[in-house]
Amino acid sequence: MAKRTLPRLLQAPAVLLLLLWMLIPLSMTLYFSFIRYVLNSLRKPEWTTPSLSNWRGLGNYEYVLFNAKDFWFAVQNSVFIVTSILLLTVALGLAIALLVNRSFPGRGIVRVLIISPFFVMPAVNAVLWINMILDPVLGLNGLAVEGLNGLVAGLREFPLLGGFFSLWPEIEPISFRATQTSAYAVIMMVTWQWTPFAVLIFMTSLQSEDQQQKEAAILDGANAWSQFRNLTLPHLARPIAIVLMIQAIFHLSLYAEIEIVSRGNGNKNLPYLIGDFATNNIGAASATGIFAVILANIVAIFLIRMVGKSLMD
Amino acid sequence: MAGLTIRDARKAYGETQVIHGIDLDIADGDFVVFVGPSGCGKSTLLRMIAGLEEVTSGDISIGDRVVNDVAPADRGVAMVFQTYALYPHMTVYKNMAFGLIQAKTPKDEIDRRVREAAKILDIENYLERTPRALSGGQRQRVAIGRAIVREPDVFLFDEPLSNLDAALRGQTRLEIARLHQRLKTTIVYVTHDQVEAMTLADKIVVLRDGLIEQYGAPMELYENPANKFVAEFIGSPSMNFFEASQEKGGFSIGGKKVSVKLSQEVNAIDIGIRPEHLKQTTKQKAVLSGTLDVVEQLGDHVLAHLVTGQGNEFIAKFETLGDIKLGDTLHFDATKENIHFFDKTSGARLV
Repeated sequence: MAKRTLPRLLQAPAVLLLLLWMLIPLSMTLYFSFIRYVLNSLRKPEWTTPSLSNWRGLGNYEYVLFNAKDFWFAVQNSVFIVTSILLLTVALGLAIALLVNRSFPGRGIVRVLIISPFFVMPAVNAVLWINMILDPVLGLNGLAVEGLNGLVAGLREFPLLGGFFSLWPEIEPISFRATQTSAYAVIMMVTWQWTPFAVLIFMTSLQSEDQQQKEAAILDGANAWSQFRNLTLPHLARPIAIVLMIQAIFHLSLYAEIEIVSRGNGNKNLPYLIGDFATNNIGAASATGIFAVILANIVAIFLIRMVGKSLMD
Repeated sequence: MAGLTIRDARKAYGETQVIHGIDLDIADGDFVVFVGPSGCGKSTLLRMIAGLEEVTSGDISIGDRVVNDVAPADRGVAMVFQTYALYPHMTVYKNMAFGLIQAKTPKDEIDRRVREAAKILDIENYLERTPRALSGGQRQRVAIGRAIVREPDVFLFDEPLSNLDAALRGQTRLEIARLHQRLKTTIVYVTHDQVEAMTLADKIVVLRDGLIEQYGAPMELYENPANKFVAEFIGSPSMNFFEASQEKGGFSIGGKKVSVKLSQEVNAIDIGIRPEHLKQTTKQKAVLSGTLDVVEQLGDHVLAHLVTGQGNEFIAKFETLGDIKLGDTLHFDATKENIHFFDKTSGARLV
């Protein structure tokens, strides 16, 4: 016993600090979620200071679940955004990693360029995308549509063929700040930024793939697709699981991109909803925060199981 | 089943040529071993036969068919790799069936062939395991099984025993020999180990720097090596070589004359005698004398490392050493057919 006492005593301060670091915010959130607590109220000034006398029980949760209009939309949207980004980054990451894994002149430069989006700050990334690429007038989006329309208009002047082209409608550029499309804008820009991460992880893993296994498969008559399906993909199971887990954790807390694209218009996730509530209603924000913790844990349990399984294999 | 013919095969990577024109005829059913030091091109040649390396020029034929431009899977060859190269995410059964599945063989036919091969190799109990759960020897057997189920015309083995420990290597070597007796299929086997070559081969191909030094039956190579390189490479321990100076009617090693009449005129020669052919004799009859330097006890025999008066080191093989001590001078003789003469400059054997 004595042997263990000293190390434990030495560890204690760090463990204690970590515990407080986690426990204080969590317990404060829990506490606020059970009381009425607002930042400004002319009608009920006593609610502006947190106190047990303002106890509301599960009232905040009830309000968030059933009365606040955006909660279920935010949950759904969080899951939609995260899942889309995960699917796209893994698919694109795999494709790009396989392409640059071959040797070709200038491979070093290409690799550096591929990685570089990852070094752009999320807010900067969002501003650049929404203004320079997705903007329906000044962005690449607007310019491309305008150019296409101009081309079609020019073709209408032709004799005979012109009649065919005059049947074509004028194309409208898509506005990515709109209610219906702002989620897609966020998915696009985050996918652009995070695909390099997937590429990087897959590339290192591809380097360690056994070449003799591939040769054995060639002798067994396996074509490129069969080799990919039966050898490369199983070989990449672990890195794919890692990419999924790390990204899921990061993208559940997306905020900057949503704020910059549409200020949450038609595109809220749980963190953004918490931010909305926190402008005044701290009680509701805290209750939403607890729901976000629960959602993150559900996702984490699934992912850890999946990663655990791929690590066992 | 089919034999294998190679005509003036060359291989170059850019400017560097690694195979310098190889001609080889392998009869149907022969067990042929490619042997040579590392970098001699033996693995490259095997991979050219398999189709994993393109042939720069020349022809490779399996049976009557030139296979230079035939896809590896369609050449009728099956290969066993040094690292086994089993598919790690598939069961043993799936590993063996994979090639047949790719070829869209009917299911019951696949099942029959896999179970038959598993029975031959005694791996029936492991069919549902993954390679990870197998020992090195079992993995090697699965790799061989994967080759067998394809029922190839030619088996290719690329240093299949290098990753096994000594005991298992001996055992697996025996199994491969048995397998060949049973299947009677042509086998091309690459190794750097001359013991494997001697014990397994019907015929040995000794390669050096992308060229064939000699092609023949094991005992032919042992008794009549074409040159100094083959003489040194085949046999364990290696043949002893002595610088010899020309004398009237013969040559001498350190003052002791060996009478011989060579068909060619040469200025300088090396004399080679295998350690097992050196017989102890009296000082008067000896062609060779040396001081005992180091003794290696190997149980059934003893290897004595000796040094001649000229500082030439050599090895002699004894059954027992008796009362000889380190530092003693020993005298040796050898029968005429066991003394080999080599041209010092070209290395070619002189008769």
